[in-house]
Amino acid sequence: MDLFAQILVNGVLLGGLYAVMALGLALVWGVLNIVNLAHGAFIMLGAYLSWHLYTYLGIDPFLGLPITAILMFCLGYAVQRGLLNLIVRAPMFNTLLITFGLEVVLTYLAQIAFSADFRTINPSYAGAHISLGPLVIPLARLMAFGVAIVLTVGMWVFLLRTRLGRAIRATAQNLVAARLYGVEPRHLYAMTFGIGIGLAGAAGGLYGTVSQINPYIGATLTAKSFAIAIIGGLENPLGVIVGGLVLGIIESLTVAYVGATFGDVASFGVLVLVLIVRPSGILGKTA
Amino acid sequence: MKGLWLLLILLALVALAALPWYGSDVLVQFGISTLLLAVLAQGWNIIGGYTGYASFGNSVFYGLGAYGVAIAMVQWNLPFGVGMVFGVVLAVVFAFLLGLPVLRLRGHYFAIATLALAQVMAAIVSNIPLAGQNIGLVLPPLNNDRLFYELSLALLVLATLTVFWLTRSKFGFGLIAIRENEEGAAVMGVNTTLYKVMAFALSGIFTALAGGIHAYWITFLDPESAFDISLNVKMIIMAVFGGPGTVLGPVVGAFVLSAVSEVLSSEVTSIAGLFFGIVVVAAVVLMPRGVADVIRRFRTSGWRYFAENIKAHRL
Repeated sequence: MDLFAQILVNGVLLGGLYAVMALGLALVWGVLNIVNLAHGAFIMLGAYLSWHLYTYLGIDPFLGLPITAILMFCLGYAVQRGLLNLIVRAPMFNTLLITFGLEVVLTYLAQIAFSADFRTINPSYAGAHISLGPLVIPLARLMAFGVAIVLTVGMWVFLLRTRLGRAIRATAQNLVAARLYGVEPRHLYAMTFGIGIGLAGAAGGLYGTVSQINPYIGATLTAKSFAIAIIGGLENPLGVIVGGLVLGIIESLTVAYVGATFGDVASFGVLVLVLIVRPSGILGKTA
Repeated sequence: MKGLWLLLILLALVALAALPWYGSDVLVQFGISTLLLAVLAQGWNIIGGYTGYASFGNSVFYGLGAYGVAIAMVQWNLPFGVGMVFGVVLAVVFAFLLGLPVLRLRGHYFAIATLALAQVMAAIVSNIPLAGQNIGLVLPPLNNDRLFYELSLALLVLATLTVFWLTRSKFGFGLIAIRENEEGAAVMGVNTTLYKVMAFALSGIFTALAGGIHAYWITFLDPESAFDISLNVKMIIMAVFGGPGTVLGPVVGAFVLSAVSEVLSSEVTSIAGLFFGIVVVAAVVLMPRGVADVIRRFRTSGWRYFAENIKAHRL
């Protein structure tokens, strides 16, 4: 029983992190109608950025998150403004293909720049944990979970309450109408993509504190983010938390009871199942 | 004009078929891998180019074909030919079992579902004892590159003839109708589910055969290399670069890109992968309908052709 509870706790903590990973992907998908296959590669870049800040400048990975997020936001803004805006109106397959190409480019550049070695961000409190009766809660994972929840809820409030958030939602609903009300789409698309990539960067920073990073983690993270976005639906950022928790718990249970190599099988199996049974997500509206 | 084209293609075919008798060993080996990649691009063309379902998981068929041959030859001591048939059977069964649910999805959903399937397969196979688990299987070596070359060429010709047949058969017209408007096709009496699954299976058969040849040629395979996700990148890029939904486009794309990447990787090893990524990004922006379309339209619009493509799709 204790073991089961511990597995659940691990799953929930992992799920929070997964939620932030998927948040940026879901935002870009919902507003720009681009499924960014390079999303995981941007998470990977964020993780490396955080790693460099910590290793060479001694900036704590959690305190360094804003720096990582802002730098990644700038990169995202530039990519959308300079490249993706050129093909936004092309057929869906072309947007998939170009982000696929971006993924390949980013992965190889990372391999050249950072080498293929595994890296970890190891602050002094990396091994610390809190004991709750029989349960053990690793401090770094708990902090990552906390930041993840704050970011997701913050994103929700931002979309609901701020001027920019409203403009983003309006554009997602109807580009032409939003344009008539004075939204400048080139800038707004770039802002949205930038925010999505900024979130990916923050997710990467958090990922680096709880897991190992190498240039090739991107593809798997993209697929997982996509699975979470599908499970949670695209309408509401809070759905992403549900999706993240579902995936985190399923993965933890599978790894513990079936075998470590089946973790990814389970999450992608769930993805395919949800796609087939309920393409609009568990919380989404029925088509 | 038509006769001239036919003559040119036949000449090129004869030159290709005779290559092992006048080319160096390195050239023949490069030829085998290029021909197999061209088969993959042509196989993808059937489901992605003609049917309009962008599969990002065709590498699954490749892995199944490779494992079909390896399991038959290593575990059951059967001849290569039987192994190829076994690989094809695996691919067709997979195409029907998973194609039926997955082909109901459209657009992004289909693309990602196939991508996820491709990632799952490596993990599943690495847990099957019959397939050698993580360690993989070692096939009996056959040192006969000439044979592998001619086999690959024959397979490519067969795949290309099949695609040519698509352009003038009821089945092919049905697939194109599905690509252009699936509801419309259904209304016109096309059994869309059956056609889509058949196209998926047909695409899978050629991909599996290429995987089988590759496995016997390399004589070793493990889950990581058999279900290599980056194969999807290559086959899609080659088909799209050459012109998806055309008969010769994917073949031309595969030859051109393989040659350029081979030259590049002989200079700097890791640059070839980067090159593929840059080619896709540039191709999507500048020539989204492939080389075939560039050749057709370059005569009328000249260099403005590239600007027109950007103008048509930018915000």
